[in-house]
Amino acid sequence: MTYSLLAVGSNAALVTFLLYTLAVFALAWLANKALAGKSFMSEYFLGSRNLGVWAFALTFAATSASGGTFTGFPAKIYTHGWVLALWIASYMVVPICTMGLIGKRVNQMARRAGAITVPDLLRDRFGSRAFGLLATVLIVYFMAFNLSVQFKSGSVILQTLLRDVPVFQDMTAALTAFGNNHADSWLVKQLTPQHGPVDWGYQLCLILFGVAVIAYTTYGGFRAVVWTDVMQGIVMVAGVLIMLPLALSQVGGLGKATRELAQMTPPQNATLQLQLSEMGGSVPKEAWFQSADEPSRIFWSTHDAIADTSSNLVEVRCMEVTSPNELVRIRESHEFFPATIQNVELAAAPKFGANEPGHYVTAPGPSQSSESGFLPFGIAISFFFMWALSGTGQPQYMVRLMAFKNSQTLRRAILTVTFYFGLIYFPLVIIFCCARVLMPGLDHEADSVMPRMAVLLTTNAGHSWLAGLLVAAPFAAVMSTVDSFLLVVSSSLVRDVWQRNIDPDASEKTVKRLSYWTTVVVGGIALIGAVNPPQFLQDIIVYVGSGLAACFLIPVVVTLYWPRANTAGCIAGMLGGFFAHLSMHIWGMLTPGYSFAKPYELFGLSPVLIGLTGSLVATLAVTLMTRPLPDDIIRKYFGKDEPATQTT
Amino acid sequence: MSPPRCDDPVFLNTRREALLILLLWFLCLCWVVPYSVMYGYERPAPGEEIPLVWGMPSWVFYGVALPWLLASVVSILMCLFVIKDDDLGLSPEEIEAAGNESPNS
Repeated sequence: MTYSLLAVGSNAALVTFLLYTLAVFALAWLANKALAGKSFMSEYFLGSRNLGVWAFALTFAATSASGGTFTGFPAKIYTHGWVLALWIASYMVVPICTMGLIGKRVNQMARRAGAITVPDLLRDRFGSRAFGLLATVLIVYFMAFNLSVQFKSGSVILQTLLRDVPVFQDMTAALTAFGNNHADSWLVKQLTPQHGPVDWGYQLCLILFGVAVIAYTTYGGFRAVVWTDVMQGIVMVAGVLIMLPLALSQVGGLGKATRELAQMTPPQNATLQLQLSEMGGSVPKEAWFQSADEPSRIFWSTHDAIADTSSNLVEVRCMEVTSPNELVRIRESHEFFPATIQNVELAAAPKFGANEPGHYVTAPGPSQSSESGFLPFGIAISFFFMWALSGTGQPQYMVRLMAFKNSQTLRRAILTVTFYFGLIYFPLVIIFCCARVLMPGLDHEADSVMPRMAVLLTTNAGHSWLAGLLVAAPFAAVMSTVDSFLLVVSSSLVRDVWQRNIDPDASEKTVKRLSYWTTVVVGGIALIGAVNPPQFLQDIIVYVGSGLAACFLIPVVVTLYWPRANTAGCIAGMLGGFFAHLSMHIWGMLTPGYSFAKPYELFGLSPVLIGLTGSLVATLAVTLMTRPLPDDIIRKYFGKDEPATQTT
Repeated sequence: MSPPRCDDPVFLNTRREALLILLLWFLCLCWVVPYSVMYGYERPAPGEEIPLVWGMPSWVFYGVALPWLLASVVSILMCLFVIKDDDLGLSPEEIEAAGNESPNS
């Protein structure tokens, strides 16, 4: 079975994409008009601190729901089953924790300080330029990683969306021909990945996606980002709410899906030697093969393969389906590739759950790489900390907390996001547990399960045009995250490096020009970083999220709530969190069976808990060993009726 | 000389609200993780059917879905009745804008 997105030869997907992009640019144009007559810095980077309920709630929710929500998360559900409900469980309190724990206080203190960025606030609270600069360096370091990864994610989704559009196919073919003719040129060499040829379709989508995001973010600033987030937030929830009933009806009810999952066992990697009907024949990726023995074994090719011109034998990398109930269904409903299996060479079995049914409906869930399963007890606790509390101190959320209009807006926004997350995250678990039953054999390409499921559900329902809208949901998620990160980085550089440290008297015209150019340059660098991006999208997203939490959560909380907190303690907390967290990743690099992307889990705990512990200990110890801040600063932020300071 | 007074009402209210929110998070942790560990980490014996509630494994329903629903209700109640409408003050640019408008208004 193939999964073309829309009818082959149709430009419908391209039209959907163009309409969507036009709407985004229209919002950016309106946002740019709103800049007129207002303080440039406050409006461009903070929307003049007057976001209403819907704008604030949806920009917060859309920034939180990144590409991982619609690519990595569905892939994990597909691969590990119902245990993902426990993995994501703390989202039940994420809205009230991330917005309610510090929201009002951040907003109030930012108003008092006249701060428009997180480092700006920290710098003013402690009267320390060094602390502001340290926060800026850490923000730029982590966000640079994430921006490139999100650019890749957006390009991959756009490529899926446009794959069958004739204009896109023609352009890709022309670029491929260009690449072949100029294989020795500097440009082509730079674009060529370590393994395999240049994927010109990806490069084209990267340019389209990157230029669109950089352009509307630069032109419209924070308000454009917020307005587009609102539109993207609506697209996301609509996508999930359309998919849920379609998935449940097509699988025959949730009970049936869960019972099917209960009988499944994880697939097994294998290499087949096939005899083809002709010399030099080829085997496509994603073809089914059946052995001649009784009962037959079934395999699914995970890569293309071509035989030598002088041979009809070919080796193909495959996955073997091992679940008895899946074998019966696949034999009945799928066509098999015409080839004879000569030999089967099995790779190492999955490390947890091999040949044992029941793991897809229980914890810790099956795992190809870990002997303790996907979610051992210690990691389950870590994730309950991570989702609910780690978001609290992260700069991209904090900057939104500086921008809402008043307390009433905050209360209503928490209420709205509570509904919103309830409508997205748990339904996603249900939809992609159904996906495992409806679409077997995608373990090797689980990141693409969302668009494939959208195509399958809408085609089966006779409304294939809907697939465009459903695939727009993950695209919107990536876009809304990238634009927010882009602005956080550029605002940090312009405000906290240039305006605070290099040229405090810069005119508004200079600051304006600098802000535009910084956003373009930062976006451009991230785009170049995505030309040959690292693999393991979700691992890098987790590294960045947990790293930011380890650095910022404790210092931010004491900044807001502990009058005794001082500069030395907070700098120690930030560095302590950074190095404790990083050390787990480096320990992973040095330990067999682990890697930087798969960090060491000290005492069975995730690196974020180790980082938070390091940060807490360092903050408390150094604060108590050093002198408190002068009284006037404490009075300014903890005393009644203190006026706002004049911003520069 | 006495230490400065920390009597800002927004500080005092948000600190109280933050403690209640942390309590809610902790109660959810105490329900979800131990329940799921007790009932979710054991595979059904061969031939035995996994108990379902509304089509999902019962440990998911009682360990995740039900507390999710209740946590959402409590969050909404806290938004309506616990979190106070505090005056967050004016930013410098708002003060400046108000100053520019006042002579004509």
